[in-house]
Amino acid sequence: MRLLIIEDDKNVASFVSKGLQQAGYMVDIADNGKDGLFLATTETYDVIIADRMLPGVDGLTIIRTLRASDITIPVIILSALGEVDDRVDGLKSGGDDYLAKPFAFSELHARVEALTRRQRDSRGAESSVLEIGDLRMDLLRRQVERAGRKIELQPKEFELLEFLMRHGGQVVTRTMLLEGVWRYHFDPQTNVIDVHISRLRAKIDKGFEQPLLHTVRGAGYRLETGDVNLSSDPA
Amino acid sequence: MALDTVNVRLLLRTSTFQLSVRYMLLFTISVLVLFGILYWSTVGSLYREINATIEAEISGLAEQYERQGLSGLIDVVAKRVQRKQDERSIYLFADSSLRLLAGNMDHWPQDLLATGRWFEFNKATANGGTVPVRAKVLSVGRNLRLLVGREIHELAELKRVFKRAAILGIGAVLLVAFTGGLFISIAAERRVSMINRTARQIIEGDLSQRIPLIGSRDEYDSLAININAMLDQIEALLSGIRHVGDSIAHDLKTPLTRLRNKLEELSVDGSRDGTQQIGLNKCIEESDRLLATFNALLRIAQIESGAYRSAFRTIDLAEIARDAFDLYQPTAEEKQITLACHCDYTERLFGDRELLAQAIMNLLDNSIKYVPVGGHVELAIQSESDRVKLTVADSGPGIPEDEITNVERRFVRLDQARSESGNGLGLTLVRAVVEQHRGRMIVENTDPGLRVSLELPRSTLGAQ
Repeated sequence: MRLLIIEDDKNVASFVSKGLQQAGYMVDIADNGKDGLFLATTETYDVIIADRMLPGVDGLTIIRTLRASDITIPVIILSALGEVDDRVDGLKSGGDDYLAKPFAFSELHARVEALTRRQRDSRGAESSVLEIGDLRMDLLRRQVERAGRKIELQPKEFELLEFLMRHGGQVVTRTMLLEGVWRYHFDPQTNVIDVHISRLRAKIDKGFEQPLLHTVRGAGYRLETGDVNLSSDPA
Repeated sequence: MALDTVNVRLLLRTSTFQLSVRYMLLFTISVLVLFGILYWSTVGSLYREINATIEAEISGLAEQYERQGLSGLIDVVAKRVQRKQDERSIYLFADSSLRLLAGNMDHWPQDLLATGRWFEFNKATANGGTVPVRAKVLSVGRNLRLLVGREIHELAELKRVFKRAAILGIGAVLLVAFTGGLFISIAAERRVSMINRTARQIIEGDLSQRIPLIGSRDEYDSLAININAMLDQIEALLSGIRHVGDSIAHDLKTPLTRLRNKLEELSVDGSRDGTQQIGLNKCIEESDRLLATFNALLRIAQIESGAYRSAFRTIDLAEIARDAFDLYQPTAEEKQITLACHCDYTERLFGDRELLAQAIMNLLDNSIKYVPVGGHVELAIQSESDRVKLTVADSGPGIPEDEITNVERRFVRLDQARSESGNGLGLTLVRAVVEQHRGRMIVENTDPGLRVSLELPRSTLGAQ
């Protein structure tokens, strides 16, 4: 997995690249928009992390240029502004995800993983069935079963599980769940999500020997079978 | 300019109207003076002329009497009466019992006895009418009286015309001055009420309001320009303060995030023993809490800056409420609190889904936090004519009465007991959201329990 970081703030760039390298990614850094755009169009990357405000060519212009030349590499926009319309602007320009600075590394890591995974998935055919271990979700019939046993889920619980299954093996942060399942882009600063997760856990893990839904301390949750650890194998 | 749009009683109290009343009086006095001068120089001079004529005749007749005695005087009077060319002169000569000795009237006018004074009376004419006469009586010899007068038909007519003109003129002046004063007052009152309206909107918290200019460059415009400049200054200062606050939060947030990331790095490292790891995790939790407070402050600042208003669209408040209810339902259930939602119908209003969702969630969060086990929280939406009312009522301990006013104020946190696990900014954010929607937040104790109502206008489009 190869990543490109376009960021003029050396602190942020080195901190992000160090973390991602530790997580097993190969990382290139460009400290201005022009170089970044050059690298993005000439090399092959799996995800680009671009600061919105850059000397020379700014982040949004880079994305627009890439999209205009049919380069569909997923882009995460980093923004120091964190203002209202930033996210909308960023996503409108063709960005795939948006993160306001300052951010916790685990948040960025989770999002990079989600995008690299999406990248991989979208290459294969869209399946109507999701599977993690012995947990099986039929998207068309909206049914969930584990080890052949049917599990009754509320609509929101179904959506939550679907999101977790689509990001199987990856860390999913609370913010990502709020954005992906509830479509809220703010931090409610409570443990509401945790309660939903523990309810879901009670339904899919209770009575089974091997738990699937894990809590990742200080980061979020991960749905995976015990023997496979996708997050430590990003390539 | 319709009168009914302004309160007339208020209008009569305006300083402009008071001023115009004073001008009205001044006008009336000047018109009176003008008429006085005109009267004196026209009617007055005619009087003086007539008086002089009569005086001259009287002195002529008195001279005759002195020279030729009584019979001579009678003769002269009789002669003058017969002299037809001067029909307008009146002569009467009578003895002490007012029996006529000579003259051109058939009887002595009643009550005219005093000598040396001017009289006016009406003389009957041949055709049945009357003619006004001005006269003076002279006493001649012993108990004889001579009356000399002149018909003053034209003069009386002129006087009458004058009187009518004066009444009409002054009436017209009063009318014009009154209505003019009223209209000027209305115009002035409009300008002043424009300024007042803007001031009120600013008091209500919308500092972006400015007084509209007419472009007439009058004193109201220059007042408005000055007030607007003052408001610009205040707004700049306020946003400066806000900016400083934001910058502090921002500036502290970045190193705090770095600290948190460093701690996280250390934590994942895994080379620490049990107690060290626990301490490290505590540090991460604490820094997360600090970050959450900064985030809340920045979020409130962002909302208050009005940045979201441009993204307002028509949304369904009931749907937002139901979503928030769904999100909180498991939390409430876990605490054995009954959470109910009475928001079945569509309630469209103009606003921001996320802001309203966050506000509702903050209210639910607060209630669920303080309601004891077994209690209940109710989320309801009521439709009112021009607004929608969203209520979150709980069976919790409520807020001490003296704190309720504090809640209504900005940036005031409740006492420790109520805000121990949060950052105390929950209601501040709700208030900021409601204000952005031009609505009102009402906090009441319901004994037992607390009820927070958000009154939101159905459309805030026009309120911009």
